[in-house]
Amino acid sequence: MDTFRKFYTDNGTRLLGYLLRKSGNYHLAADLMQETFVRYLERYRNQGLSVALLFTIGRNVFYDHVRRQRESVALDESFASLADDQEQLYIIKEDMRRLLEAMRQLDDDDRDILSLVVSSGLSYREIGALRGCSEGNVKVRVHRARQKLRQLLPAESL
Amino acid sequence: MKDYLISQYIDNELDLDEKITFVETVNEDRHFTDEAVALLRQEKQLRTELAFPLPALPQLHRAVRTPPLNWLALWFKPLAGFAAGAVVVILLALFRPGVPPVPQGEPHRFVVYLPENTQARILGTFTNWQPVPMEPVGSSGYWTLTLRVPEGEHRYSYLVEEDRLIADPTVMTREQDDFGGENSVIEVRGLAI
Repeated sequence: MDTFRKFYTDNGTRLLGYLLRKSGNYHLAADLMQETFVRYLERYRNQGLSVALLFTIGRNVFYDHVRRQRESVALDESFASLADDQEQLYIIKEDMRRLLEAMRQLDDDDRDILSLVVSSGLSYREIGALRGCSEGNVKVRVHRARQKLRQLLPAESL
Repeated sequence: MKDYLISQYIDNELDLDEKITFVETVNEDRHFTDEAVALLRQEKQLRTELAFPLPALPQLHRAVRTPPLNWLALWFKPLAGFAAGAVVVILLALFRPGVPPVPQGEPHRFVVYLPENTQARILGTFTNWQPVPMEPVGSSGYWTLTLRVPEGEHRYSYLVEEDRLIADPTVMTREQDDFGGENSVIEVRGLAI
């Protein structure tokens, strides 16, 4: 159990970062992060400790949440709460907020691959395996996502 | 095609040949250099250290094991009302009123010495991995609990803090779990107390 606690400490913040970049909502990201670790223990503990598996589960937990909420809350609405939540304004610094708002305008696929590359520390090959695409595909897509994000950010912020 | 090299450079994904191409392109192509610098600055913001509080580790002992889904219960749930009635009739026929049916399994006494603890619990295959509180033996530091354990091989641990599990120090047979912990393994046959 101490080993798993260390795994949590070592990777919790990175997974939280990925889910925050994907969702734009700190509280949602924190909930999904915890759900991911619980799901890991409940269903995948026999597969050992793997960062790639952790992010795969985290990604599935996120999309499960989106599917559950699809009829009642649009994904965009969870982003919209970012600017209204005083606690989030305190936790998330101005630069990061501006970035999250820009990322919100990317399509989900671009946001997902960029969030994975930035947050997970996994290689293109590992991310390709996680997403079910080739390493070359990751290379192309992540660069296109960065270029699109650049177009969405004001020039003076870079 | 070369513009992907910028992302590969940012993500440490360049092989040696690509590194040569990258450096040569930076020297030759002003537009490429400007884009690389802009994307690197953007990346600095993207990778800003998230000064977020890491939420507490979930209550892991509840997630240590999940009891197997009782498919039979799901299938027969609609019939539960009828079944319950039938069971009552059969029990009344078999037992005199006031004599409870004997629980299955042999009584097995678990003892663990934890003088510093204010509580101790046990969880294992015979508790569906749900923690069951143990009783202190006076102020001796020993904790004990007698449970009826079905015959066969069983695995268990003591939950000595909110999420810290230890194997039974008095049982030599142990099984490594995948998360650095150990479960004690016992074989229950006949009267074990």
